[in-house]
Amino acid sequence: MFILTKIADLVQIAPEDFGKQSHQAIEDNINAKYANKVVQKIGLFVCLWDILWTSEGLIGQGDGYANVNVEFRMVVFRPFQGEVILARIANQSREGISLATAFFHDIFIPFSELPDDTEFDPREQTWVWKVKGGDEGEGGDEGEAAEEGEGAEMYFDNNEVVRFQVVSEEWHDQAPSGPQESADQPASELLPPYKITGSMKAAGLGCTIWWD
Amino acid sequence: MKILETQNALLTNYEVYQHILDTQRRAKNQKRRLPGNLATLLTEVVTYLREKPGPLARQNETGTYTTEVFAQLIERLRAAHFKKSDIVKGEILNIFNIRPGNTAVLSTILEDMGERFTEEEQERIVEIIIEVLGQEPADEDGAEQGAVPSIENGN
Repeated sequence: MFILTKIADLVQIAPEDFGKQSHQAIEDNINAKYANKVVQKIGLFVCLWDILWTSEGLIGQGDGYANVNVEFRMVVFRPFQGEVILARIANQSREGISLATAFFHDIFIPFSELPDDTEFDPREQTWVWKVKGGDEGEGGDEGEAAEEGEGAEMYFDNNEVVRFQVVSEEWHDQAPSGPQESADQPASELLPPYKITGSMKAAGLGCTIWWD
Repeated sequence: MKILETQNALLTNYEVYQHILDTQRRAKNQKRRLPGNLATLLTEVVTYLREKPGPLARQNETGTYTTEVFAQLIERLRAAHFKKSDIVKGEILNIFNIRPGNTAVLSTILEDMGERFTEEEQERIVEIIIEVLGQEPADEDGAEQGAVPSIENGN
C-alpha cells in the first residue's frame, strides 16, 4: 500500500530558516513541498522517510536562499494491483460505490465489480447483495446470511468498512486547460489526479462484518 | 524534481505507522510545528491505520506488531513447506496489512488459492497468522456495529 520513492531535488532554504538545524530545515522544506500531493504515475506523497545525500549549501546572487541538492526517499501511497485494502463506503449511485479512506477519497467500485445478484435500491440509494438461500459457498461461518435461512439481503450501508481489491488506476494531469472559445461551451470537468478502481466481487471482499 | 527510482522499497502499514508516530513525537519534543499540509495528512493516515478491523487498531494496548514478528511469520510460513507453491512477497505484505482471520479473507489475498494450496494448507496458514500476529477480538459491542462510526473512547 505504501512504497518508498527515491527523488533528487533542489531545496531552497530561506534565510529566516537559517536558525533551524540544516537537516531540519531541509526536512520541513521537502515535507511542505510534497506532503499530500499527487505526482503523476508515482502516487500520493505522504512524508519524508530519510535523507540519503546532500550537497553543500550555495547562496546564489540576488537572494539569500541557500541552495542545497538533496537526494531523499519519500513514503508514497501507491497500492499495487491485486492488493486488498480497507476503506469506508462514502457514496453510492447506479454506477457503483465510491469508497474513501481517511486520507484518500478517489476510490470507485463500478457495479460490474460487485458480487453477482447485487441490485441497486433506488429508494435507499444503496446496493443490496441478495444472497440465495441454501448456498453453501459463503466461506464457512456465514453469520447473518445463515441465520435468516432462505436467502438474505446484505446491504452496502454508507460508512461501513469494506475490503476491496485494487483493479486498476487512472491518472489525470491537473494542468489548466486553455481559454474557452465560446461562453456556452461547458467547462471541462476536473477529474481526480489519481483514481483507484477496485473490485468487491470475490468471496471475502465487501463489508468486513460479513466475513469476520 | 527528478525521480531516481519509483519504487525503492515496499513498506508495510506498521512501518509507516511507526515512522509517522516518530515524526510527530520528534516534533513535539522539540516544540516544533510541522508544515500544515503534513500535519493534517499524518493525522489522517494514523486515523486510517487505527481503524477497526485493521490489525493496528489495538496496537497501543496489545503491541502485537513489532519488528520481530515479520521475520517470525516469514520463517514460520517457510517452515510449513507447502507442496505446490510459496507465498510471494506482495502476498506476505498484504497478509501483514490485513491480517486475515479465516480462509475466506485469505482467499482474497492469495491469488488462485484453491489451486495453489490444499485445504489443510490454507487452514495451516490461517493458524500461523493467528499465532504470530494475533487476531481481531470478538466484537462484544456487536449491537452497535452499524453504519455509524463510533469513537473508541479517545485513545
